[in-house]
Amino acid sequence: MSESFAKPPSRWRPVVRLLIAFVLIDLVVLGFRGTWERHSPDDYAERVTGCAAEPREFVIIGGSPVAEGFNPEVVAGFEWKGQRLQNGYAVGLSGATTSDNYIGAIHACPTPPKVLVYGITASDLNDARKEPHGPYSLMTPHDWVEWASERPRSAEWVTRHFLQGKLSKAWALRRYRHGIRMWAATALEGEFPGTCPDAALEANEQLRYSKLLRTNRGYAPTLGFVKGRYDVAKAKGIKPAPFQFLDRYRTGEHLQYLHKLADWAERSGIDLILVDMPITADLDARYAEAFAEYRKRLGEFEAARGVRVLRATREVLGFSDVDFADVIHLNEVGASKLSQWLHDRLSEAGGGSRP
Amino acid sequence: MIFANKAFLIFLPIVLVLYHGLNRRTHKYLVLTLASWAFYAFVSPQYLWVILLLTAIDYVAGRMIEDARDDRVRKTWLTVSIVSNLALLFAFKYSMFAYDNLAWLGQDLGYSIPSRAWYILLPLGISFHTFQGISYTIDVYRRQIPAVRSALDYALFVAFFPQLAAGPIVRAVEFLPQMVTPPSVSAKQISDGLWLFATGLFKKLLIADSLDVLFVSPVFDNPTAYDDATHRWAAIAWAVQIYCDFSGYTDMALGIAKWFGFELPGNFRLPYLATNIADFWRRWHVSLSSWLRDYLYFPLGGSRGGAVRTYFNLMVLFVLCGLWHGAAWNWLAYGAFNGVLMGLHRAFDRLLTGISWADSLRASPGWKVFAWVGSSFQFLIGLVLIRMVDWHGGLLLIRSLVGAEHAAETASNSPFVPQIAGAPGLVVLLICLGLLGHVVGLLQECRWLRAARLPEFARSMIAALAIAGVLAFGPGVSKTFIYIQF
Repeated sequence: MSESFAKPPSRWRPVVRLLIAFVLIDLVVLGFRGTWERHSPDDYAERVTGCAAEPREFVIIGGSPVAEGFNPEVVAGFEWKGQRLQNGYAVGLSGATTSDNYIGAIHACPTPPKVLVYGITASDLNDARKEPHGPYSLMTPHDWVEWASERPRSAEWVTRHFLQGKLSKAWALRRYRHGIRMWAATALEGEFPGTCPDAALEANEQLRYSKLLRTNRGYAPTLGFVKGRYDVAKAKGIKPAPFQFLDRYRTGEHLQYLHKLADWAERSGIDLILVDMPITADLDARYAEAFAEYRKRLGEFEAARGVRVLRATREVLGFSDVDFADVIHLNEVGASKLSQWLHDRLSEAGGGSRP
Repeated sequence: MIFANKAFLIFLPIVLVLYHGLNRRTHKYLVLTLASWAFYAFVSPQYLWVILLLTAIDYVAGRMIEDARDDRVRKTWLTVSIVSNLALLFAFKYSMFAYDNLAWLGQDLGYSIPSRAWYILLPLGISFHTFQGISYTIDVYRRQIPAVRSALDYALFVAFFPQLAAGPIVRAVEFLPQMVTPPSVSAKQISDGLWLFATGLFKKLLIADSLDVLFVSPVFDNPTAYDDATHRWAAIAWAVQIYCDFSGYTDMALGIAKWFGFELPGNFRLPYLATNIADFWRRWHVSLSSWLRDYLYFPLGGSRGGAVRTYFNLMVLFVLCGLWHGAAWNWLAYGAFNGVLMGLHRAFDRLLTGISWADSLRASPGWKVFAWVGSSFQFLIGLVLIRMVDWHGGLLLIRSLVGAEHAAETASNSPFVPQIAGAPGLVVLLICLGLLGHVVGLLQECRWLRAARLPEFARSMIAALAIAGVLAFGPGVSKTFIYIQF
């Protein structure tokens, strides 16, 4: 048997040679992975590993409203139980549900922070949503088994995306293909301007985003949102993009993960604080029933677990459409105001008085 | 489920393992036939009966032709086969075109014919397997081949999935002898198959699809928005796209067939190196042009019936060739255009052949370059006819090709920055890549480069790099192969 392995039948040699060629190409691709990752970052993985790179004093988690809405630099410096907390990080996972945020938080915080802020909104708890990026990018085998056993209805779905994620990591060429493409566009456009201007624009935006992700404590707002103005868009008659994240609204399964997050925080000695994220009046009106259910669940959770919930409503913040880039994401001005507001509220809370 | 599709990449290994795992001839061919029908049913499930019916008719017709002693019976069965194939081909492919034109003509003459409110989807590969069936019964009728006695063998010959969707059109005489015993696969066949599959995939997904998305479709869909230089580049890019699309498909078909041990005939012989129109048709879609020559041109009398009859035959041949590709006026125009060019070329050739100074001039390198440029220009005009969205746009593009100037109407809408005299550098790069094989072929024809097989590992490395290139740089979604729509 060993002989047959040592010397494969000659007609299979072309296949063996092709496989060797693929392995060699993959090794070369792997050798330059830093370059590809810079040109096309996996933002979930980048944020989680970026946060985990060093012990953090406070961490902010949540979906895209957090990614666009909290600048840890502005939030930092608040007093918490006699200590000034400076080193913070925002793990804003765009499109994440509460389940994804839980998994993101436990991997982003190998050393428990003193304070964990979860910027939550209604769409995080919508069980009609199943977002593949979390299982694809963040899950460990333990997370997968836990999910599959606790949520048998979505066991097949989570298994598929988890395995796809693992398999894609086994083939570097496939994993980094977008990064290679972006790198090639930058290189070609640099040498021969006009060759592929559209791709080069996208590549430059990816490079900017990647740089921000690595240097700005997770605050890497999307270019379109930074200067975006929802009021201006409305005045121009631009119809907002469809917001399907609150369709078929129901809660239950993702809510379990909110309890798991609270359990984990309690076990790790972390002070968990929820921030009910601000939204536009239009979204509130459009999905009134969904937001009513969400707020009811949030109230129940607050009462049951004794977790602080800071309600960053439009009224409290004095926000109008001017502060938003679209129906749910804040622009640069709104993000700055919200971050400052959170700094102030945390300072109050850390000083012993409940906000 | 066509070659560049994820489902096919699951289907193919399963069929290969099953086929090579079985020992008995019947079992192997049964698996391959069922797989081929499954391949067909995946794309055209509602039309599986078409290929089954025509297979049954042609199989029975072949046997009856061979067994009959009376020539009238032989002729009757041959007619049954030809009429069945052509009737279904006409019904599916040409009935809409015929109805639309009848309605248009009727309305012009004052009759009230309602506009068409129905649509017929084309069954997969009907233009190819009907021609394959017809050639088989004709060959049996001509006693050039014996009739196939095994229904399974005949079914596999018709449905063999690598060539089912878009050819090449395989003759029974080329395929059936290979079926006598299941061919064993050699290392060379596996290696050549990998090479052909990888390069075919590269040509299709990277070159043809990228050219289409980046340049050809934007310009052809809205030619008035672009200037004359962009029109000329778009015509060249389209020529490279259609070549890479179709020859890429053929390469993959040939490569896959090799993994089952079968050799299919090639379809392309560096067509864009042709120095006249007759030469072009000897190099482009060879299995179709040779089929039309053997089963249409020669039976019509070929060149044996005098000059007028020959030119008439040529025109019939090319008009039908055009219509074979598609039931539309622009395809008919393409066929007629090629028929006229063939006639002119024949007249020119007959006028000058035998005149010593003309013969020596035509053999000179300078004349060959001149002839190549002139011929390429003709091909480009023909290709514009088949890609144009409407006659106005097509004529505008042809005007640009012949040198007329056209200022872009909405230059600011350009999806790309013109870089090299009207085309983005990436398009020029893709065009060069698409014609690389032609350059190598030309160097070999001129004996400036020795035709040598690359070392095996280098071939494997290039094949792997081609697939890697497709993965990294190909457009995410592949377009349907152009010839599958014919």
